[in-house]
Amino acid sequence: MEVAAALVKGNVAAGARAMRWLDDRDPRGADVVSAVIGHTGGAHVVGLTGPPGAGKSTLASALIAEARRREHRVGVVAVDPSSPFTGGAILGDRVRMARHALDPDVFIRSVGTRGQAGGLSRSTHDTCLILDAMGYDLILVETVGVGQDEIEIVALAHTTVIVGLPGLGDEVQAVKAGLMEVGEIIVINKADREGLDHTLQHYETMLHLRASAQPDAPDAWTPPLLTAVATREEGTAAVVDAIEAHGRWLRANGEFAARSGRRARAQAMVLLRDRLSTLLDQHADPQVLAAVEARELDVYSAADALLAGLREALRRG
Amino acid sequence: MAGHTRPLRILLAKLGMDTHTVGVTVIAHALREAGMEVIFTGLKQTPAMVAAAAIQEDVDVVGISTLSAGHTRSLPQLAQLLREAGAGDKLLLAGGVIPEEDRPLLEQAGVDRIFTMGSDTREIVDYLNQWWSRQPGSPD
Repeated sequence: MEVAAALVKGNVAAGARAMRWLDDRDPRGADVVSAVIGHTGGAHVVGLTGPPGAGKSTLASALIAEARRREHRVGVVAVDPSSPFTGGAILGDRVRMARHALDPDVFIRSVGTRGQAGGLSRSTHDTCLILDAMGYDLILVETVGVGQDEIEIVALAHTTVIVGLPGLGDEVQAVKAGLMEVGEIIVINKADREGLDHTLQHYETMLHLRASAQPDAPDAWTPPLLTAVATREEGTAAVVDAIEAHGRWLRANGEFAARSGRRARAQAMVLLRDRLSTLLDQHADPQVLAAVEARELDVYSAADALLAGLREALRRG
Repeated sequence: MAGHTRPLRILLAKLGMDTHTVGVTVIAHALREAGMEVIFTGLKQTPAMVAAAAIQEDVDVVGISTLSAGHTRSLPQLAQLLREAGAGDKLLLAGGVIPEEDRPLLEQAGVDRIFTMGSDTREIVDYLNQWWSRQPGSPD
């Protein structure tokens, strides 16, 4: 398989084409994944998430610059929302990362969510896998800034970085955010803005509550609370320090491979659900659906009947 | 984009020191409304930056907005870079202020279509939809 062979050697056009196939659900994408899987597992996948306007793209750009100084090869997956009405999207995250456009050791890919909820696209996992196979050892995934429950990234990434900013209704934000319970590194960006002390206080309280809710373990990871001004690259080296430290912690505790494994397992279930959903659409008995529409049959009985129909269809092969 | 199984991906960029963004913004929104994925790379791009982004993003179309002089040099350069990278099959469009006398040179250099000032966004959308429906893997 030409594309697979080329991309594991680092060929950019081949990798980009594989990502396109996977995003478009072209069956050739699955063949590439089978062919390159043995070349994956080495990359450290880092999620960047947080509310809109927190400066995730600008922070990503500063992190790329610092990671390049440390000779990481950096892959970036930047997710932006697709229109639920037209399916179209404006993917503009590259604008803030333009200075890395000509660096051969930086690969940036923009993807639309294409109907997927949770701040990622369905293809994000696959895109990371291709970047991994191409030899990018640090992969940054920038999620859609939807805010409070976009925890899909936690299942995908080895390390989740929560990006906050001063003075944005912090009390509500920090307490409600499901993310605060899971993020491994917290960065308050735009730290030169008014309200920083107040914001830091709230995040400290949150982290304290979180720590006290967890059982004492001597080697547990303590999420650092950092501040940064990404536009001036202030504090961003410390963020890369924290990412690297968390990577070392994961490896020392056997968590690095465990997280990759859980991620692969979850992705297999996603694909299974996808296929089952297609099968359901193909085999849903129109007569049963018509009966529901005419209010002659209730929805629960209809679901039972449709499932029985699917089982029958699968038995017949 | 009724009937298409996958969205067209298009990169929009501005080359050189030109900082007029209204036109490209209007077009980006029109293409999004038409169901396309628009990758915007920003201002002050060099031909090499645009070519690198077009390949990483594996777009189908590269659209350059130009409202200042310089396009007679930068557009042929971009076309050349795309060909050298094996990406000469991407559709290359240009729009903005392009004098009539520049057309032959640009077309010969590999610019597939030029939209001048006053082009309706619908004209661009229709052109792209028709082109896309002729591409393999996108039955329509």
